[in-house]
Amino acid sequence: MAYPYVSDREVRILSKHFGDPTARTLTGALANGRYSAFKKAVDMGRDAVIDQVKTSGLRGRGGAGFPTGVKWSFMPKDSGKPHYLCCNADESEPGTFKDRELIRWDPHQLIEGCLIAAYAIGAEHAYIYCRGEFFEVSSILAQAVEEAYAKGYIGKDIQGTGVDIDVTVHIGAGAYICGEETALMNSLEGRRGQPRVKPPFPAAVGLFGMPTTINNVETLAAVPHIVENGGDWYRQWGTEKSPGTKLFCVSGHVNRPGNYELPLGFPMKELIEDVCGGVRDGHELKAVIPGGSSVPILDAAECESCSLDYEGVVSSGSMLGCASVIVMDETTDIVKQVYRMAYFYAHESCGQCTPCREGTAWVTKILKRILDGRGTEEDLDTLVDVTTKMTGTTICVLSDSVAAPVQSSITKFRDDYLALIRRGERVGVA
Amino acid sequence: MSDAPFRNPGWAGNTGEFDLSEEQVRGEDFVGARPLEGGHAAGAASYPYMLADKEPEAPLFEGPYRARYEKILTRYPNTRAALLPVLGLAQEVRGHISPETMDAVARLLDLPDAYVRGVTTFYTMYNKRPVGRFLIQVCTNISCNLCGADEVMGAFLEHTGTEMGETSEDGDFTVVEAECLAGCGFPTCVQINSRYYENVDAGDVPKILEHLKIQGE
Ligand SMILES: Cc1cc2nc3c(=O)[nH]c(=O)nc-3n(C[C@H](O)[C@H](O)[C@H](O)COP(=O)(O)O)c2cc1C
Ligand code: SF4
Ligand code: FES
Repeated sequence: MAYPYVSDREVRILSKHFGDPTARTLTGALANGRYSAFKKAVDMGRDAVIDQVKTSGLRGRGGAGFPTGVKWSFMPKDSGKPHYLCCNADESEPGTFKDRELIRWDPHQLIEGCLIAAYAIGAEHAYIYCRGEFFEVSSILAQAVEEAYAKGYIGKDIQGTGVDIDVTVHIGAGAYICGEETALMNSLEGRRGQPRVKPPFPAAVGLFGMPTTINNVETLAAVPHIVENGGDWYRQWGTEKSPGTKLFCVSGHVNRPGNYELPLGFPMKELIEDVCGGVRDGHELKAVIPGGSSVPILDAAECESCSLDYEGVVSSGSMLGCASVIVMDETTDIVKQVYRMAYFYAHESCGQCTPCREGTAWVTKILKRILDGRGTEEDLDTLVDVTTKMTGTTICVLSDSVAAPVQSSITKFRDDYLALIRRGERVGVA
Repeated sequence: MSDAPFRNPGWAGNTGEFDLSEEQVRGEDFVGARPLEGGHAAGAASYPYMLADKEPEAPLFEGPYRARYEKILTRYPNTRAALLPVLGLAQEVRGHISPETMDAVARLLDLPDAYVRGVTTFYTMYNKRPVGRFLIQVCTNISCNLCGADEVMGAFLEHTGTEMGETSEDGDFTVVEAECLAGCGFPTCVQINSRYYENVDAGDVPKILEHLKIQGE
């Protein structure tokens, strides 16, 4: 059954085997060249692996875009303690659905990425933290891990290299906040998934108090390719500051939603019109959220010239995040959708910080009031004021994530709010 | 949505057929069922812990479950870290995590009762109350919402004759709202026990429910 979401504009490196069920078996994976990069990595040595990843310019695909090689180089060299790698497969940012596909179609690609990363940072154990809902995904992954153990691709003296690394599939239990790296570590330790105050950073005091690196699934899945082909090879795609390819998760009102692997810096306009077959049913574009629900909304005019790389999206007024492009056509009720996002954050706030716990709840209540036609124009000022005070004042950035959609929508789609406030009219139905 | 040209080959199939088997959807190379006692310890935690048939009084843990419990413990430097997977295992056999189950897990792992209660209640996937044979979780977050998730939710409530969170009289269905399930490109995404149904629209709902009723899990 071929994967239906493909476009000839794609550069399929990580997603090359999407749709091919044989890729998830060890035999299929070996035929696809998996696990040769690990041997190469050990031949090169730790420092050379980190150098190649630095050269590639690979940036973290979990949202923040931090350079991966640099992150790895923060790990101490001879700490004498156990080191850990955590793979963040807690994917739950609304609009994001790439890690799930990466794991269920090509689990060995991720496992090899974990092994190389663990080797580079001197980790003896890699934990892959899958969100609890991912039963199917984690079962596929667990079977791949079991097969790899049985054939000596994980465990003691991997492929005769003398390197020992364990891999464990861990599952969460339904909490968006566990995607935040320090919350993930707490959750893995069997605690409530509440973020920790930084510093200390995970590279110094991480999982079980030991030096730890946390990377997203897509970040780690790219690593074997970089080791195999060299850092410069990876730079043939993308821009100077945002090299390589990236999975774009396109959802919402397009004719062909799905995951598309494209070079960073790809024009948003072409993504929507060319790759995704345009806005559905010939409707007009109203707005796009380019990086998952935590980033500012762009209006149609801003999308015209938006280039999809980390810097490009910032200069258009938003952030690339995890490249989760949510497309909204003119039938969209922006206020309703912003309310839905605020409701999500109120539900997912871990409750440690007052601005976040109280702020998310109040923002949701005010938005609901507006949506029900009982809002006032003053409410808009209150929303801006509250969300401003929720930004930069908390332990993690979940709190800031509410400000992005709320403030940007009030600025860019004020008329939608005013129609509700002044005349009780909803703009849009979706 | 049902006549959209492209569909993800999820549980709904790419044709909206909700009665396909796992192998039919995934291809023959998908290794379906896994041994209850687990394979390698590395994967012992990742089992579908929402099964249709539940035994709220089942012992913690015996037989193959005991074997998996012991495998899980070997993967962590202390018992606390095994808490989430062990709660998952307890939910797999009992169907929900009652306060008594929390205390039993606390004793097993040698953790304070209050601590285990605090952790269990933090996470939404541990059912604190009994749920129906089929727990239907409808994503109504933004991407699904843009494509009609509210109608899908409405249809599930209507056809099961329940209110949100309530279990149907025959004990078969509990319908709840879910946050983003990471299937946003295939809206509406619905999780029923451990399976994802993708590209579900309101019109598909009677078919899905009928199929669940006939087939069991
Ligand atoms: C509230 C919140 C939720 C997050 N959720 C995820 C997630 O689901 N998956 C993920 O990979 N990163 C998530 N992150 C980012 C992680 O904290 C972390 O930056 C990332 O896993 C690092 O990996 P990378 O450098 O490979 O991107 C989240 C961050 C925050 C603040
Ligand atoms: S900002 Fe919110 S989610 Fe983050 S630590 Fe504070 S209360 Fe928890
Ligand atoms: S928004 Fe429904 S699965 Fe992501």
